[in-house]
Amino acid sequence: MRLNDAFGFGLRALTGARSRTWLMLLAMAIGVASVVVLTALGEGARRFVANEFSSLGSHLVIVIPGKVETTGDTPPLVGGTPRDVTLEDALALERSSAIQRIAPLVLGAAPVSYRQLERDITVMGSTAELMPIRNLELARGKFLPETDPTRESAVTVIGDKLKKELFGNRRAIGEWVRIHDRRFRVIGILKPLGESLGMDIGDIAVIPVASAQSLFNTEGLFRILVQAEGREAVPRARQAVIDIIRQRHDDEEDITVITQDALLSTFDDIFRSLTYTVAGIASISLAVAGILIMNVMLVAVSQRTAEIGLLKALGGRRGEILSLFLIEAGLLSVAGSTIGLMVAYGGVWLMGRIYPDFPLLIPLWSLGAALGISLATGLLFGILPARHAARLDPVVALAGR
Amino acid sequence: MIRLERINRSFVVGGETVHALRDIDLEMAAGDYLSIMGPSGSGKSTLLNILGLLDQPNSGRYFLQGTETTALNETEQAVARRDHIGFVFQSFHLIPRLTAAQNIELPLMLAGVEPTERTERVAAVLEQLGLGDRARHRPDQLSGGQRQRVAIARATIMQPALLLADEPTGNLDKHSGDEVVQTLEQLNSRGITLVVVTHDPEIGGRASRRIRMVDGAIDPGHPLTGSG
Repeated sequence: MRLNDAFGFGLRALTGARSRTWLMLLAMAIGVASVVVLTALGEGARRFVANEFSSLGSHLVIVIPGKVETTGDTPPLVGGTPRDVTLEDALALERSSAIQRIAPLVLGAAPVSYRQLERDITVMGSTAELMPIRNLELARGKFLPETDPTRESAVTVIGDKLKKELFGNRRAIGEWVRIHDRRFRVIGILKPLGESLGMDIGDIAVIPVASAQSLFNTEGLFRILVQAEGREAVPRARQAVIDIIRQRHDDEEDITVITQDALLSTFDDIFRSLTYTVAGIASISLAVAGILIMNVMLVAVSQRTAEIGLLKALGGRRGEILSLFLIEAGLLSVAGSTIGLMVAYGGVWLMGRIYPDFPLLIPLWSLGAALGISLATGLLFGILPARHAARLDPVVALAGR
Repeated sequence: MIRLERINRSFVVGGETVHALRDIDLEMAAGDYLSIMGPSGSGKSTLLNILGLLDQPNSGRYFLQGTETTALNETEQAVARRDHIGFVFQSFHLIPRLTAAQNIELPLMLAGVEPTERTERVAAVLEQLGLGDRARHRPDQLSGGQRQRVAIARATIMQPALLLADEPTGNLDKHSGDEVVQTLEQLNSRGITLVVVTHDPEIGGRASRRIRMVDGAIDPGHPLTGSG
């Protein structure tokens, strides 16, 4: 028998029993669509997190005061009081050749007022270097001036949301606002960047680090953001940070250094395994579809017993009858997965329309996996009914028993 | 052309062994027209199934065109059925979703014949059996007689040497039945060996050779007519 004849025969058998065929197509389509959509969601979540990290700036090494041990013996319940990381510590880091620039960070909450309007916001003390390190952009005006970081200066750059709330549509550049009990002149307005790792760039005021230190009456820094010379320089920069700070802190390593890459790859791993898990759960529905196909094919075989007997009487060999039924199951799988893929792409497109910020994407491997699994289940669960058909005794089959 | 030597076939039904065929010896020449008659359960259908290679005897030998078929394996027997034997059944056994032409085409399809050649041969046989205008009709759009003639067309499309008909008129009225018998006899007159199993003495009597089965054996009291 010719292969295209076998396909034609299978196709006619499928179109000859419409409701049965639609039922199986539906099952297969739901299975494939759920695998593809769920992996797209998982992959989207992973990309979302990756984007968040890259908006933080590139080649970043973050220095946090205090040592957090995640390995070894049981850590003390209360970590030993860490020595403050000071502005001088931060500036000392600039000596390393692996480090391109640093931005010390002091963070605090304070009321900001302009005339009668007052808002509680996050005040960030830093230097001019913060702008390139955090990839900040200005909507208007200038960023903090590149002066000696240890000198106070009564200037501030505010987020666009804060600007709207305090000034409305009026001009803000050059105006004086009151932060806590001090006056600062607005010199720039940040462009909205949206959420960046949970901190709203629109709702902050950036002031020189020395001013922030005296405003919040603290010597210690909240963080030091360190930008390495390049991606390869990140490990060297990290080591340099540890060495320099230890040297300055009486040979005691009392800081925690996080590299962005390490963080990113951790999140990447988490979300990747999440995607696999979700895909695995979804493929259960594919297996269910396979079992349904098997059931319906078995019913089809028993309904078509006389037809199988006839094919045998006409000289159909066992292998030919087996392949006829397998082809039928395979055609069902392929058609079902095609419908499923169309549903999945439609669904993903629709979700992309509803949540444009969420980077939904159907990974290629999930396409391949969904198609492969559906074809495999279709054939696997098709074998049993097909073998059953091929082994029928022609005399018994012709009698329709 | 056909020689059966001491064919035995028994079934086990409910723990009891039933001898459907006992020591059947039968010889047929090419172009013979044989009818097999007998009461229900006499073994005539079993004999037909064995002649059609649908069933295997428990013992004995069956030569078809010089080949000992009892020595063939399942696949070889399927090929022998395809190339040498045509079946006509009481209940027609047409596939309901296929048109008359597609039903007739089935053996050619199984044999892997080129589609263009298939179309030609199907058209020719349809014309020959007066079904030219029924090619695209499905079985449920055909009368009983037309269905049986489609089935005959299917049985003969491979130009088999042997045509086996099991109660071919059993589901038909008198008029259609006569038409079908005439069609079969026309084929026989062109050289095909015809074996008809029937209850109907009128139809059975038309054959040049008649055998009567009783309890799984050929009734020796029944006169054999014609050559043999």
